[in-house]
Amino acid sequence: MTALSRRTWPFGLIARKIARRLANAVLVLLAAASLAFAALHLTPGDPVTAILGGGTQTPSPETIAAARHEYGLDRPISVQFGLYIARLASGNLGQSFSQHMPVADVLRAQGPATLALMASALLTAWLLAVLSIVFAVGRRTTAFARTTETFFAGLPQFWLAILLLWALGFELQIFPPAGNRGLRSLVLPTLSLAIPLGGFLARVMRDSFDLALHEPFILTARARGTPEWLIRLRHALRHALLPGISLSAWAVGALVGNGVVIEMIFSRRGIGRELFLAVMTHDMPLVSGIILFIALVYILAGIATDALYVVVDPRLKATRS
Amino acid sequence: MTRLKRAIALRETGPALAAFYLAILLVAVIAPQVLTQTDPMAIAPRAAFAPPSLHHLFGTDESGRDILTRLIYGARQSLLLGVSAIALALLIATTLALIGGLGGRMAERGIRWLIDVMFAFPVLVLALLCSATLGSGIVPLVIAVGIGSAAGYTRLVFGQVLAVRDAPYVEAARALGHSPFKIIRRHILPNAVRPLVVLATMGVGQMVVWSASLSFLGLGAPPPAAEWGTMLSMGRDYIAEAWWMTLFPGLAIVLTMLATTVVGRAIQLRMDAGAS
Amino acid sequence: MSPSTPLFAQSRPRHVRGTISCVVACAAAVLLTGCRREAHHVAPQTPVSGGTIVYATDREPVCLDPHVAGDMPQVFVAQQYLDSLVAMDDRGRILPWLATDWQISDDGLSYTFHLRRDVTFTDGTRFDAQAVRANLDHMVDPHTQSGTAGGYIRQYLRTDTPDDYTAVVHLKSPYAAFLEVLSQGFLGLESPRALARPRDVNCQSPVGSGPFMVQRWDHQNDIVFVRNPAYNWGPPTALHHGPARLDRIEWRFVAEPSVRFAALQAGEADVIDSLPPEAETPAQRNRDLWLLMADRPGNPTNGTLNVRRAPFNDVRVREAFVRSADIPGALGSVFFHHYRHAGGPLSPSTPFYDPAFEHVGDYDPARANALLDAAGWTGRTADGIRTRNGVPLIVHIPVRSSWPTADRTLWEQVQATARATGFQVLLENSDDTSVLTREQAWDYDVRLGYWNTDTADVLRIIFSSAFLGPPTGHANHQNAAGFSDPRFDRIVNDALTTTDQDRRRELYRQAQAAAAAQFLQITTYPQTTRLALSRSVHDVRLEPSLHVTTLYDAWVSR
Repeated sequence: MTALSRRTWPFGLIARKIARRLANAVLVLLAAASLAFAALHLTPGDPVTAILGGGTQTPSPETIAAARHEYGLDRPISVQFGLYIARLASGNLGQSFSQHMPVADVLRAQGPATLALMASALLTAWLLAVLSIVFAVGRRTTAFARTTETFFAGLPQFWLAILLLWALGFELQIFPPAGNRGLRSLVLPTLSLAIPLGGFLARVMRDSFDLALHEPFILTARARGTPEWLIRLRHALRHALLPGISLSAWAVGALVGNGVVIEMIFSRRGIGRELFLAVMTHDMPLVSGIILFIALVYILAGIATDALYVVVDPRLKATRS
Repeated sequence: MTRLKRAIALRETGPALAAFYLAILLVAVIAPQVLTQTDPMAIAPRAAFAPPSLHHLFGTDESGRDILTRLIYGARQSLLLGVSAIALALLIATTLALIGGLGGRMAERGIRWLIDVMFAFPVLVLALLCSATLGSGIVPLVIAVGIGSAAGYTRLVFGQVLAVRDAPYVEAARALGHSPFKIIRRHILPNAVRPLVVLATMGVGQMVVWSASLSFLGLGAPPPAAEWGTMLSMGRDYIAEAWWMTLFPGLAIVLTMLATTVVGRAIQLRMDAGAS
Repeated sequence: MSPSTPLFAQSRPRHVRGTISCVVACAAAVLLTGCRREAHHVAPQTPVSGGTIVYATDREPVCLDPHVAGDMPQVFVAQQYLDSLVAMDDRGRILPWLATDWQISDDGLSYTFHLRRDVTFTDGTRFDAQAVRANLDHMVDPHTQSGTAGGYIRQYLRTDTPDDYTAVVHLKSPYAAFLEVLSQGFLGLESPRALARPRDVNCQSPVGSGPFMVQRWDHQNDIVFVRNPAYNWGPPTALHHGPARLDRIEWRFVAEPSVRFAALQAGEADVIDSLPPEAETPAQRNRDLWLLMADRPGNPTNGTLNVRRAPFNDVRVREAFVRSADIPGALGSVFFHHYRHAGGPLSPSTPFYDPAFEHVGDYDPARANALLDAAGWTGRTADGIRTRNGVPLIVHIPVRSSWPTADRTLWEQVQATARATGFQVLLENSDDTSVLTREQAWDYDVRLGYWNTDTADVLRIIFSSAFLGPPTGHANHQNAAGFSDPRFDRIVNDALTTTDQDRRRELYRQAQAAAAAQFLQITTYPQTTRLALSRSVHDVRLEPSLHVTTLYDAWVSR
């Protein structure tokens, strides 16, 4: 829990912190890229056959040799690795062999769809979680909310996705079954990701929330006659937000991973589907490009989380007000 | 008033029901033939896609096999998979967390960095690596899921170890001149590992879910295994015609996860009570 | 030649699915989303021009140029924007298209094509003999990375252009199937100016002379085609002349079969292909829809047995395995009786197909058991698996992760029925490239696959010793059985040297007989093109060479 241990850093340290973060980010990216390279070279299997259209085709030996040469697959591994890192360092992600286009173009085409889904899932999850903890007042309602949250948190996303697709997409036809067009097509995939995540977030935040409700400043506010819902929303919630925020950085990473299956089920375009195709064809440049993309999203999410911490941290606010 | 009573009753029956479900599951794991007389592998093409009825309580699948029977026989493999994967994940997590927490500044930074890298590395790529190098089967699946989910657990355990390390009683022990080994054994391990028990029970279901998502991608347990995740993913194509093929295996997974969570929390409460 | 006419099916209108859920569905749909599109129309008699069709398909091509690689999704796209030198009708006859007529030299080594003079590519380039040469050269150029087109014309030597509209193609050896493969969209003709660009650029924005032009390709989402207004050189198989009737095609990728069918029902798509078997009955019952289906020629979907290693190096064990698999039973359950069993080495719609071999390997567990006893597999393990000298009878089948669910289940049923005879069948899931690697190393007992082509010469590709790959090292081999028989080789090679149709028929009959007698494959069902279409869509055709969709004649009424 990085952020928890540094609750009270002064603002002057932020610049240094950012510099360190950046250095760390570069290291993480480098390691992820090397791991991706190693993983695909450890895996037996000749990408050339996949490039040439699979096993039912009849490429001539000359065609195979030409393809191997074109992608540098005929060079020693160490040379391939050196070239690969040098190319990455110059900002070139390379050419995907299976998609016949630059990896950067693939990411540019598929990234927004995945990012949109992730963002809407994260927002919806937060909305569900906050609604649940703020408005579940009273012993019985709270117990009920707790049980529901646990249940939601335990739902497998893809199972939920299939059931939602069946009920709302096929049977009731409320939402379009296939999903790249318009906001409405975003609803079912978002819900499938957001409901379990929302349950999880709520479970994590509820404990701090309940603790905060017994803090002295809440009692003072109550004594002042502030309405209960306002107290919950304005004062107690701030405390509950912290664990939720730190969890969100993790959630963003998890969303990309779970997104693969969700994108497949709803026939949505996106990075996840592209990753699946790339992995199946051992398309090294594309796989490592996507891993770098995920790493970058994860790093940015971490930075955003830390920034939010500063904004939200009740102690900082408390000392100022 | 009756509602309140019912709520109280529910609170007590929750863990009881969970324990009951887990007991049945245990029987299914040890001796599935006690619960059903049908053969989980016997195909009957003519009886394919039969909806739930008295004869087939949960309906039949695309090969005419009884789904309830397959769920019962699948419990062993699914739970074995879940337990081994979570064990592997926690083993990795604890090892890394202890190294990072107690190995000095460099180790701490190194582990932080490693966690970031692990998060960025998709389980799918790991699964591919495992299935390509180790062949198809349960073992590669366990390894892929275990390593793939280790990042999250490492982060949790690492945080716990750091918190315990800096706790007053550990500092006190240090001040008293206790050896580091003794401190680890007496203070850090018990306190950092305690939450692991709960994590482990809850994690079993999560692992089954993860392996199911790999089944979706065609990298799951090999047929004709009645592994729950594989059953669930096979049902996906027939959701419009045979919802029972998806619903029941999913329910089995969800109930397992809920039951282990409820029981895990009960264990946690007891342990907390014991500790204080 | 008389290949059996492909099966054309059209659904009979029947009552709508009358379940409660449907009533709820309609009520909810009206309530929440307004009215769904009223899809039932009385078809006007005369075709109208204009409009857009949304065509939803399962797989996205890796490259729009069908010369590169060469997988089925590419030829479906190519058929919309490319023309071929010759066409094939549904009886397997070769007809003129961009070539008005041709002569074949007596030695079968030179083909002289006379070309249409009024054809231009959509980038303004003239279609002429130079274009033919550029295309054929492009297909065989190793840098094109052509698997299919280049593989089919390995005999190609060079093209001479005595004048602008005469192309003389020289072959290294006689190749009687040359015109047949030329009629496939895989060998469609592209603008030489566009081909001169780098391969990966041409993949994204290829240029042809066909009825539509590729306007844009939004990866993983759709390809948009627009009408080629100058088009006046449709194939002789078409229903009309002049430009296409549609303004636009939106060619969408919807990978999940159930989602694709739901999109059609919801009116989001007008045509879907690869209609899943489980959706076929609902589609037949839905009176807003009609179906268009045809078997593709070639080698049916199959599992090919590897004769290079035990246990399938013994023909008795091969026959026992083939006979222990209850394919019709499996087709009945998983495919809902919608798929026909293909029993011979050729699909019924292939030229020179002979129905005599349909039942050579029928399910017969009694005979399978007798054969295994005779072959010495008489021991049994505790689980009932047969053994010989203590070695259990195990069959390894690598299954690629992209293999469709229904086919997986089919093989699971083969696994179950073969087990009853004492085979232990292991279905080994892995990613596509890993499976390919095992196949290259001959590390399998059964290889799952199919081969779509419009010529019986496919028998040479899948069973002759010329396609065994290099003797050492890892490389693709199309002869997955590892079968090598000089007599068989002679038959299929002889069949290439003659253009006499009766002689070819006789030779291909012998080849089918020889292959069937060796029990080299468990054939399951013919590959089929299966379209489900909205009633407002008319005159969608399947081009007979490979039964690939063509939207040239199509029009919409709404």
